[in-house]
Amino acid sequence: MFQTTLKKEWLDTKRQGQALWLGGIAVLLLLLACLTGFKSHQSYQQAVTEVSQSEQLRWLNQGEKGPHSAAHYGIYVVKPTTPLAALDAGLQAYQGNVLRLEAHIRNDSMFRSAQDNLPMSRFGSLSPAFVLQVLLPLLIILIGYPLLAREREQGTLKQLLASGASPAKLFIAKCALLFVISCLFLLPVALFLLYSQVTSAEPHTLRSGLFLLFYLVYLLLWSLLTTTLSSLLPTARRALVALLTIWAFTTLLLPKLAMNIATTIHPQGSGQAFQAKLESEVYTEARVEAIAKFKQQTLTQYGVSNVEDLPFDYAGAQLQFGEQYADKIFDRLFSARLAQLEAQSQSYQLAGMLTPFIAIQTLSMATAASDFAHQQAFENAAEQHRRMMQEVLNFNQRDHGHKAGGHYTAGEELWQQIPKFAFQYPNFIRYLPHYVISLFSLSFWLIALVLLSFFAIKKLRLEEQR
Amino acid sequence: MTTPVIQINNLQKRFGEYQALQGLNLSVHQGEILALLGPNGAGKTTTINCLLGFLQPDAGEITIAGINPQHDVVTARQQLAYIPEQVALYPRLSGLENLAYFSKMASIEKTDEAFRTLLSEVKLPSHAVDKPVATYSKGMRQKVGIAIALAKQAKALILDEPTSGLDPSASHEFSQLIQSLAKQGVAILMATHDLYRAQEDAHRVAIINQGQLVDTLVYEQLQEVQLESVYLKHIKVGV
Repeated sequence: MFQTTLKKEWLDTKRQGQALWLGGIAVLLLLLACLTGFKSHQSYQQAVTEVSQSEQLRWLNQGEKGPHSAAHYGIYVVKPTTPLAALDAGLQAYQGNVLRLEAHIRNDSMFRSAQDNLPMSRFGSLSPAFVLQVLLPLLIILIGYPLLAREREQGTLKQLLASGASPAKLFIAKCALLFVISCLFLLPVALFLLYSQVTSAEPHTLRSGLFLLFYLVYLLLWSLLTTTLSSLLPTARRALVALLTIWAFTTLLLPKLAMNIATTIHPQGSGQAFQAKLESEVYTEARVEAIAKFKQQTLTQYGVSNVEDLPFDYAGAQLQFGEQYADKIFDRLFSARLAQLEAQSQSYQLAGMLTPFIAIQTLSMATAASDFAHQQAFENAAEQHRRMMQEVLNFNQRDHGHKAGGHYTAGEELWQQIPKFAFQYPNFIRYLPHYVISLFSLSFWLIALVLLSFFAIKKLRLEEQR
Repeated sequence: MTTPVIQINNLQKRFGEYQALQGLNLSVHQGEILALLGPNGAGKTTTINCLLGFLQPDAGEITIAGINPQHDVVTARQQLAYIPEQVALYPRLSGLENLAYFSKMASIEKTDEAFRTLLSEVKLPSHAVDKPVATYSKGMRQKVGIAIALAKQAKALILDEPTSGLDPSASHEFSQLIQSLAKQGVAILMATHDLYRAQEDAHRVAIINQGQLVDTLVYEQLQEVQLESVYLKHIKVGV
């Protein structure tokens, strides 16, 4: 029945011409978006490689200087991307991809105002994700709204059913046809993923597979919804109006509303305020007292009354103590901030129960490693690298500073002890707990629409003249 | 007497306050043409929709070739063919493509040649077979409808105002096709306002009014009476 329906719809569509033009434009848009995304990803990857290499060279060739001067000299690390980021750049443009690692301070690039505006800011850009999440559902609607409703208006639906066509098979054939057509638009994306699997040094097979799977489910949801409403509503016009209303609500209005609610329930201060808070909490009287206590403990431990009498350079030891003291405060404040952002993200994901758009948006960015959780993983890894770097430099100062009479300098031999920052995203499975709500939401929508389809088929069995 | 192909017993259907069918009893046997007459709102279309399984009766029982559409609507529909007043076809597809599509959707597989033969049997002009149905006259569309019925070798044929709007020549041609189907053993139920066609073609005539069967005339009676007088007498009584 599917083949028969496919042949008939193809003949009908070909002779009508309108849908072919529509499909052609959509494919063109998607190809354009893929190409733009690919170019942008390529240039970004090139920049990552170049910056990493030049930074490493800059670090190694910084010349002779004190280890603490080198700690302030610092290095820049760049967040790598996956090839999937070419399809869904997610928050990439809003979170910053470069971090400066230096002494005394944990820099961050995530608390930016653009991050809070994310969902709607993306609307203006023609990314493959935008085409897949927003425009493709619209295309499914425009192709699919008359599938059963127009047949009802023409009387052919009654004629078909009266001739003994199974309502369930007819419904499934129409829905499958719509789904297969929508999958054709996913073909450029599948080809791109295949290409990136073959050419990439780090293939992301699981991520690519899940990326495609989530979009297949998303397209199936829209195909089911479109066929169901086309089946339930008496005229094609009413089916179109209903579907367009749902599309506008679910892809444009509700996500914006959900983000506003999430940021209202879990408000965030500005990035500047957070940085000011970090400094005000680190550089306090308590710190001065803690350092004084550390000094006293050290002198007591070694049975001396002056730091000059210690068998090592006290300045290096104090610098390391200061780092560890600040790290505890950084951990506390960043954890609190992270918990707040995570709560915001969970609230937003919860709104996925109202619209599958939020679920696919979340899961798409997640598999592309361009969302908040992956940014967090990168920043955490960078912070660990910074702490390791400070420890190596401070311990070197501690162990060798006193031998040079206060003018100790180190060279490339020490700089080489700091390994190049190399970050790889952990396996996607480890990230799954972040997306439980979105996974549940997508499954919920699938089950709900399958049940609604059963209802539509039941009504189709009793199709009467309307 | 053979077992009726179409059997309707005590059929009742209500739409809100309006009782559309009030215990209707009808039967159509193999090879028989039964004309169902009645004024607008008498219950003809409701009866047909119940037969096609598009409406659930409130009471009573229907069987088509022994199958109750309330229990197994798809199998029941596979036993019959339905030709409405306006045969609904896909305007951009040709007569041949329409016939092939409707047949295949009803799980009937035939070659293109076989479908062409069927269209030729119903006397669809050969030059029209591959042309879009949008260019067809009503009579030509009716012929495609008959071809669909022939293709599925239906045991029963249900016609709803089949000759309405047809010119006398097309109406006569249609009548011949119906007679030919009856001769092949198809049980035909024809709801119509066309008293002339009913008297000419039917083996029996059933007159219904206000959802009830008010009279039945067998073939012999039809030869002797003036159907219009009988019909008007019953309708006036009903009013």
